[in-house]
Amino acid sequence: MDFLNRLTPALPALILALLALAGAAGVLATGPLAISPGDLLSALFGQGSPDAELVLTLRGPRLLAALTCGAALAGAGAGFQILFRNPLAAPDLLGVSSGAGLGAALALLLGAGTALVQGAAFAGGLAAGGLAMGCAALTRSGDGRLALILCGVVAGALASAGLGLVVIVAEPYSQLPAITWWLLGSFTRATLAEALFALVPIGLGGAVLLWLGFRLDVLSLGDEQARSLGLPARRLRLAALAAAALMTSAAVALAGIVGWIGLLAPHAARLIVGERAGRLIPASMAVGALFALVIDRLATAFGPAEIPVGLLSAALGAPAFLFLFVATSRRS
Amino acid sequence: MSGLLLEHLVAGRAARGGKGFRLPPLNQSVAPGEVVAVIGPNGTGKTTLLKTLAGLLPPLAGSIHRPRAAWLPPPGAVSAGFSVLHLTALGRSHLRRWSSGLAPADLEAARAALDRLEVGHLADRPFDRLSSGQQQLVLIARLFVQDAPLCLLDEPMALLDPAHAQAVEAAIRTLAREDRIVIASTHHLPLAARADRVLALGPDWAEMAAPARALAPDRIRALFGVEVDGCPCCGGPLS
Repeated sequence: MDFLNRLTPALPALILALLALAGAAGVLATGPLAISPGDLLSALFGQGSPDAELVLTLRGPRLLAALTCGAALAGAGAGFQILFRNPLAAPDLLGVSSGAGLGAALALLLGAGTALVQGAAFAGGLAAGGLAMGCAALTRSGDGRLALILCGVVAGALASAGLGLVVIVAEPYSQLPAITWWLLGSFTRATLAEALFALVPIGLGGAVLLWLGFRLDVLSLGDEQARSLGLPARRLRLAALAAAALMTSAAVALAGIVGWIGLLAPHAARLIVGERAGRLIPASMAVGALFALVIDRLATAFGPAEIPVGLLSAALGAPAFLFLFVATSRRS
Repeated sequence: MSGLLLEHLVAGRAARGGKGFRLPPLNQSVAPGEVVAVIGPNGTGKTTLLKTLAGLLPPLAGSIHRPRAAWLPPPGAVSAGFSVLHLTALGRSHLRRWSSGLAPADLEAARAALDRLEVGHLADRPFDRLSSGQQQLVLIARLFVQDAPLCLLDEPMALLDPAHAQAVEAAIRTLAREDRIVIASTHHLPLAARADRVLALGPDWAEMAAPARALAPDRIRALFGVEVDGCPCCGGPLS
């Protein structure tokens, strides 16, 4: 009974995670090549039919990329929204997405391969986030939330300016389409190794956010409250920001700029599990993974040409966000 | 030693270009169980002093020897979308070193404290939806949950109706009865009159005295520049 009582608060997030996993299995099993779930399971352990093996090799990596990116962006978005007590906070708050875009575009301009492009995007995202956090640390305004937002805007603007420059000097027939395509986002370009590699920083950042748990609630009260409640506010906030920036950079490096998931998923999750960080972070991750899955499925649903997931996530995410906003405001 | 000892403590804010300010040096000791009211005009540094005592601001000079401190910000300063019970239980954050969540014992302690201040029925409501008076009682319940030997309260009676003010004052008294030091800044002079000692903070002087002395008409005139004929609390003659 005691065990059940302890489990109850985690139940919604658990159900959402299971839903995301079921969705993943569904995506794997359906499509031009239909596979039975049982066959899929045995293929997972290397004993399936050739068809099932094929499905796993073809759909597996992009599925993994969609799940991890969705969870990472949503988790980071939820973290930022809690830390800044701002419903408009999104994973690119610190200029991370723009920085990653600049890194990737530069690498593409120099003709680098996929791995190098992803590495450059990851480094660019972290650099922009680091720049924003470093500049904010120089100011002495209150508990630094406003400074962080402003410095994030500055870092993002600088990166966008750099990106504009890269786009102008890029060779228009080969490099420019590559850069544009990259920026619009896609889960297809990831190989299994790359998706697994991105899982490391994303898992690390996610673990930090999950561990912070109730401490994020304390931080959301402001630094003075957090310190008077006996927590090392500065260090914890730095850890949370770094974790969120790490997750965002890795997600953008893997899939390009896929907006709206990080903004939308936490709001949807909040409707289900409420405001407490300990429940909101895991629930947001599950919702984000599910949303990314649906978007990726839709990207290939309309004929042979793939619609960039960045476009789809905005086209679906923006109205969904409006709907959620109206729903929440009417409920209260 | 669980008392509070201030040695030549200078609280204030350092800033370049003469924009900072310094409070007069304080040499005081306060024993457990004492209620000290801090009074003075707006802008003399009551909030700065309390934050310095709480360890939220560094002292400009001198030293503070103090036990673990809990700090209550002025009404309206705390905003939280989660439940009253969770906010109250966060008072035990310092006990949870490594776990990612609060323990069931924390929630029990929070519930007990809320019940004690007769706001237990609000436990599941979002904190932001409460009235100022209810919020203040909840935050004082969190002081009980924090269980710090030193409680610093910034304007605990501001914005409260008489009923809530009475409840808050009773809670302050209970905090002190359980051997905690309570230091509260206030413009609510009846609270100061019923404190054990009153610290009057003027523009460039500070004076700790018994309430009867600190609230005498001449001291009130020196402090606020207003005339009072009798006791500022009841209007009756001062002994």
